[in-house]
Parts: sequence; structure tokens; C-alpha cells
Amino acid sequence: MLTIQLVGCRVTAGADLMSDTKYLFKRDETWWVKVAVPRSLRDTLGCDLRRSLKTRDLETARAARQDVVDEFRRKIQQTREHQANQTTCSDSLDLPPGTGFEIVTRENFSDVTFLLEVSAPMLAQAAQPGQFVIVILHTHGERIPLTIADFDRKAGTITLVIQAVGKSTLEMQQRCQPGSRLYSVAGPMGFPSHLGTKKVVCVGGGLGVAPIFPQLRAFKESGAYVIGVVGFRNKDLIFWEDRFNQYCDELIICTDDGSVGIKGRVTLGVEAALEKHADVDRVVAIGPPIMMKACAETTRPFNVEMVVSMNPIVVDGTGMCGGCRVIVGDETKFACVDGPEFDGHKVDFDDLMSRLGRFRKQESQAMDAWKVTAGAT
Amino acid sequence: MAKKTIRSIPQERTSIPTQDPAVRVRNFEEVTLGYREMDALNESERCLVCPSPDCVPACPVNIDIPGFITRIAAKDYRGAYNILTDSTLLPAICGRVCPQEDQCEGVCPVGDTLKPVAIGRLERWVGDMAIAENWDNTPYIEQNGFKVGVIGSGPAGMACAADMAKAGCDVTIFEALHKPGGVLRYGIPEFRLPNDVLDAELENLTRLGVKIKCNVLAGRLFTIEQMIEEHGFDAVFIGTGAGYPTFMGVPGESLNGVLSANELLTRCNLMGATEFPKYDTPLGLGKRVAVVGSGNTAMDALRVSLRAGAEQVYCIYRRTRDESPAREEEIEHAEEEGIQFEWLTLPVEIFDDGENNVRAMRCQRMELGEPDDSGRRRPIPIEGSDFEFAIDTVVYAIGTNANPIIGQTSKIELNQWGYIKTDEHFATSIAGVYAGGDIVTGAATVILAMGTGRQAASSMKAYLGIRDSETVYQAPHIGSEGKLFGIDLEERTFTRVRLG
Repeated sequence: MLTIQLVGCRVTAGADLMSDTKYLFKRDETWWVKVAVPRSLRDTLGCDLRRSLKTRDLETARAARQDVVDEFRRKIQQTREHQANQTTCSDSLDLPPGTGFEIVTRENFSDVTFLLEVSAPMLAQAAQPGQFVIVILHTHGERIPLTIADFDRKAGTITLVIQAVGKSTLEMQQRCQPGSRLYSVAGPMGFPSHLGTKKVVCVGGGLGVAPIFPQLRAFKESGAYVIGVVGFRNKDLIFWEDRFNQYCDELIICTDDGSVGIKGRVTLGVEAALEKHADVDRVVAIGPPIMMKACAETTRPFNVEMVVSMNPIVVDGTGMCGGCRVIVGDETKFACVDGPEFDGHKVDFDDLMSRLGRFRKQESQAMDAWKVTAGAT
Repeated sequence: MAKKTIRSIPQERTSIPTQDPAVRVRNFEEVTLGYREMDALNESERCLVCPSPDCVPACPVNIDIPGFITRIAAKDYRGAYNILTDSTLLPAICGRVCPQEDQCEGVCPVGDTLKPVAIGRLERWVGDMAIAENWDNTPYIEQNGFKVGVIGSGPAGMACAADMAKAGCDVTIFEALHKPGGVLRYGIPEFRLPNDVLDAELENLTRLGVKIKCNVLAGRLFTIEQMIEEHGFDAVFIGTGAGYPTFMGVPGESLNGVLSANELLTRCNLMGATEFPKYDTPLGLGKRVAVVGSGNTAMDALRVSLRAGAEQVYCIYRRTRDESPAREEEIEHAEEEGIQFEWLTLPVEIFDDGENNVRAMRCQRMELGEPDDSGRRRPIPIEGSDFEFAIDTVVYAIGTNANPIIGQTSKIELNQWGYIKTDEHFATSIAGVYAGGDIVTGAATVILAMGTGRQAASSMKAYLGIRDSETVYQAPHIGSEGKLFGIDLEERTFTRVRLG
């Protein structure tokens, strides 16, 4: 920093000297500007930055020199700051070329919810409704389980809908743009949803709105009468209404403020649907644990099959760590290999919710650390 | 040279330098530092070079042990490495993690009167030297056009893949996690097996032409049947391991702060949780940790907990030290580091602090009764011996079960415990599909997994009609008699000059 300032002074002071060719050099009679790069930045910028001034006249070159030198200096300074950020937050996050999974499209549904379409041809071939994938954002990232919201076998892509709530998902919101790559996408994990029903209510709330969609579509395609119940906070946050309408025989929208559809929670919609149709044989709910618990309580008196999709804390997702264990009836099950769908009337939701809060302290710690370094950019 | 006798050899087993316990509990550097050249030479003198050695058949992969030790003694280190790589792909790993006291060193006749030859330490020394010197023993391989898929990149899969690649097959390994190595990566901690060593040994595999594909969950992404019918694999090897952790079923197990040793080790070794928040994966370990079980995994969990910042670490085991399945060396190291062992103790209940976190644990003292089916004396609870002690993390290391994914997604035959059923040649119920490692044998050791991987490879070769012979192909030469313009192609010391 200091050297650059000193050198800068000399440029202005010595500008009128005839022999002044500071930062300048001649190549094939043309004058060029060259600024050396500090040793620590040479991996990224090369040994020096140079640009042709496109003149053969020394005086013209001297006049044009200062702007270019200033620009190069700014560039060096920026790179230096960028590197400093990376080393404190996470070094070597950039993936080696040719690895990772490319993000094809991105769509923002609200300030927290966004959609990513990721290129993963084999995964798109194999994915079934109800399954999930594990995503790692970068080499220092954690393994994040995400339910597959859609898949396109022809285009070879899978769709993920993410709610930015913690450090990793916020970082995803910031970093994931079309063309950028995810370090790892592995799956599809878990058992696909069991079809074979005549009349089904599909409930999606919050984070569960997108994942319920492929199931709902599969039910419709298998010939079932499908009633969709989706919940949003307000009118502005509604997404995919057209998609749902396309595959639902009936669609009930619930909003917290009543701006569209039923005012209140999705359970009101479920209740309405069950009262209207006595022959519903299954209710499938995906969403936050508290919502799934409420749905299970709502459907219990109606004596229908209740399926919920678990989203516990997972490390590997291949049945190895046991972090995702949930209590179903009197048994302990691993959501990743025994689920993720279980009988909602048997799941111990209080246990699930308590276990989801296992790393609350660490989550806020990670957030704080991240905000200090990367959050500023 | 006069024949060596038990009296003429160095009497003391050469000790191996280790990190000071007080220092090493604060870092993840390797605990045993390895022999120096003089140590290795001294130890190699202790081998009697038996004419019909017992150690070779005792080794699951039948390494010519006297052979490589004599080469060390003759200072032909490269020759020693060549002998090792004839049988094992991973000398630097096996030298570190094999239970040699039950295998080669257990039958060494020197051990009848003195301490046995430190075969494992010598193997490790040669393996480390090969990595440091970047020795490459890749043979010339004539491709035979067969395509072989290997599921799981752990020791069994690696061993099988190496043998099939050497036989000329086009081998692809599929790994579900984002980094290869299986249990060597996620399970065994850095201070016992540095990742650099693992990477170097994996590099040997890629030199053989083996392709390693991570992030591929075989079974779910494609089934075994699909691999053969749609993806054109001529043979498939399954080495998915026994990673499904078991819990005891005592009250309080779903509290926060109760986790499996696999979860603890995976978070630390694979995900870098000890460097949280630089790495995103949290660990959430308390200050007072109890590890239940006393196998090698338990020892790893204990010592990782200590390094991750726990102040008090207890080992809870219902039998005594003598029945403990862990390697003697591991228990010794753990003791040196200040782990508190509670032998003859059984957890009965885990208590919460009112916010679903672990607060304390109630245990019961045991005594040993008559031997059970496993030949170990059965622990019997002592009435009224219950006691409670404060704890905030409980780690279960009481064994694992078969990984269920392959069984769930294919018609392959399983036994009653969910392990894959094979015949004595490691062939499964599906033609062309072989299995080995923990998914067949149940939780065992790295070297046993490698042994079964190699045996499965040999049956696979028989199935594909590849003859196992000692014949080694020479790389084809250009020009007559391997010479170009009169210069031997092996000759690389000439200087190129420009004429005119």
C-alpha cells in the first residue's frame, strides 16, 4: 500500500522530465503501460498488468499513462481485499474447472424464497416424487438436504426451491446465479412416494409448497382425484399457482392475512376438503414440522391415511450417521434410508422439533461469522 | 552371512517415536511419527527369515513379509516396495491401521521369546517412503474391454478395483459422498491416518486407470440391475460397508447431545467440523463426553472428542479391558491422552436438562459371569450399583449394521441381518455381481475388507474368463527393437540439439 502511494507521487513529480518512462515500455515502437503485481497476488493476476496505449509518441503516452495506472492500482487493491475476505471466511472455495453441478436458471419468488434449476442429467433420470438430494455449496460447505421440487428428464435438470433461513441457504441465495456451480449434488435419496390412491389431498405449506408439486402431479398422472391445499403468508408470496391449477382437480389456497382464498392456516383448507369429500383416502403434507403436526391432528378424527415428509438434520444421507433419526410409533427410524415419508399419525413431532433445534447456537454463531466477512460484499 | 538366530538378532523391538500426549491432544497431527531409516534397518535385522513363514498366510492379502524385510535390510528399499505392491495397494495405510498383533505379528516366532518383529511399522515406513519419493509401480496394462463397476470407494472397493484394473478391465468406482475413501476418509481420524496418505494411495488407483466418480448414490441413482442391463457393466462389485449405526434403546436417546460415533467422526473427518465456523458443518460437542463402547471406533471417537475441545472424556464399556475389541495400541494411546475408562459399566438412562439437552447419565456396574457364544465372559449387572454422573454429550460406538440402500433397491439376496448373501467365492445371487467387505462379513477391519475385495476380484476374473497369470506385458515399442534412431526409448538422458 505504502509503496504504491510513493510511486504515485513520483509519477506526478517527475512527469516533466524527458527521460520519464516510469510504468512505460516500448514494444514494436508502441508505448505500453506495465504495473507490477505484488507477489501475493500473482497467482490470480499474473506477474504484471499491461496494456497498450496505442501510440508511438512518448508525450501522448505520458499523458494517457496516469489513468491506466490508476485503474490497474484499483484492480490490485480490489483483488487484495477479495483475497483477504476469502482467507478469513473460506479459502479456495472456487471449484476446479469441469467439476460441480451447473445452475441453469434461477427465479426469485420472494426476498427469502428462490428456485434453482440445476443440471444433473443422471439425477433427473432417476428422480421420483418424494425423494431428496444433498447439496453442498462449496468446498467448505455443509451437506444440505433439499427435497426435489421438480425434474425434467429431457433437459436433464432438477429443480430445488430454497428458503434462505440459515447461513448456508443465505449464502446460496447470494452466490447461486445461472452459470455458477454447486460443489456437490448427490441423490436421489429416500424412498419415492407411494402412489395408488383414488382421492388424495396434497398439502404444502411454507418450504413444502414446491416439494408437494411433483407428488401432486404424479398422483394426477396415476389417475387420482387430486385436491391441492397450499399455504402462503400473503398474496405476493404465491408462486406456481398455474402449475398447481394444471394438475389439481380442486385447489385451495390459504393465506395468513386472507388476501387470497381462505384466511388462516392450511389446516382449515384440509378440514374443508375432508368435510366436502368423505371418500378421501389419503392426505399428504409437506412443510414445517409444526404445520405437519397440525395437519396430522386435523386428519386424525377423519380416519384417513396421513403421510408426512420428514426434514431432520442430516449429515451423509446414506444411512451412516443416524443424525436424522425420528421416532415413528415405538420405533426409531432413519429418515434418509427408511423415509423420508412416514405415517403422520405415528410420528413424534415434538421430538423432531426438538432435534431440529440441536444446532441453534452454532447456527447463529455461523451467521455472525459470515455476516462479518462475506455479508458486507 | 551367518544364519540369524533368536539370540543373534537385536533383542529389543525398535520403539517408534510418538508425539507427546500433552501436545497431541491439542492437535490433529499424526500420533505415531514413524520409523527413521536407522530404526527401520535395526528392526529389519530382527526378522529370522523363516523358510516357511507363518506370517504370510496370516496376512489377509498374503504379503511376502520376509521378502520385503530382507530387502529393507539390504537397503534395497525400492525392491521392498515392489514386493509390497505385488500384494497390497495401500502399504502406508495398512501399516498404520491393520491389527497386526492378531495377524502377521501374532504368529511371528520371534514373538515366542521376545517381542515380535514390528512388521506393520516397517510396512508403513516403506509405504511412506514410496509416497515421499513418488515411486510409481504402475504396470503396463493391456486393456481387455471388460467394464467393471465398483460401488463404494472404501478399502474393499479400492482393493477390488485395483486388481480388476491390473487385469485390464475398465473400472469405475462410484462413491456416494463427495470425497473418495469410504471409512478411511470419514471414519479414521487424521491423527491415525493423514488425508495426504489416503490421497496418495488413491492416486495410485487413478494411475492404474481407475475412474472414481463421487456424488453417485448407486442403488438410487441407478440400480445394480440397471448397471448390468443398461449401462453395460460386465461385472459389478458391491462394497457399501456396514455403516448403519446402532443405538441401545435406553430412555433419553433422542435428546440433543446423543449421537453415533459415525456422526461425530463424519462431521470431524469429512466435513471439517472441528474448524467450524470456517467450515459450515457444526459439531456441537459438550465439555463432558461419554463414549459408549470400546472398539476401535470408540477409541477414535474418544480421542477426536478430546481434540475437539472436550474437557472430560469417559469410555463406558460393560466388560473389561481384556475383552475390549480395540487394538492394544489404541487403548494405550487413549490412556496416555487422559481418557477415563469406566470398565464394567452399562448405561441405563440418559437425563435431560429440561430443554431437551443431555444433563446426566445413569449407569450400572457389572461383573463377569460365564463365557457366552462369542467366548467372552458375559457381563451381569450388579443389583443396586446404579450411579449417576453429569455429562452433556453421549456418543454411541456399539457397532453398526449393513447399509440398507442396495438391498432396498435391488432383488439381490440378503441374509436375516440385511447383509448381502454370497457364496465362498463372494458371488451374490445376481450373476456377475460380487460383494465384499463389511457388507458381507459384518463390521470388520480395513485389511479384512481389502482381503475380501481381492478374493472377489479373483472370482470376478474367473467369471469374465480372465486368466490370472504372472505374465506381465511389456509396453509396445515404436520402431525396431524398441529403438528409435538408434536411441533406446528408455534412455531419457540425451540432450536435444538444434543443427545448423
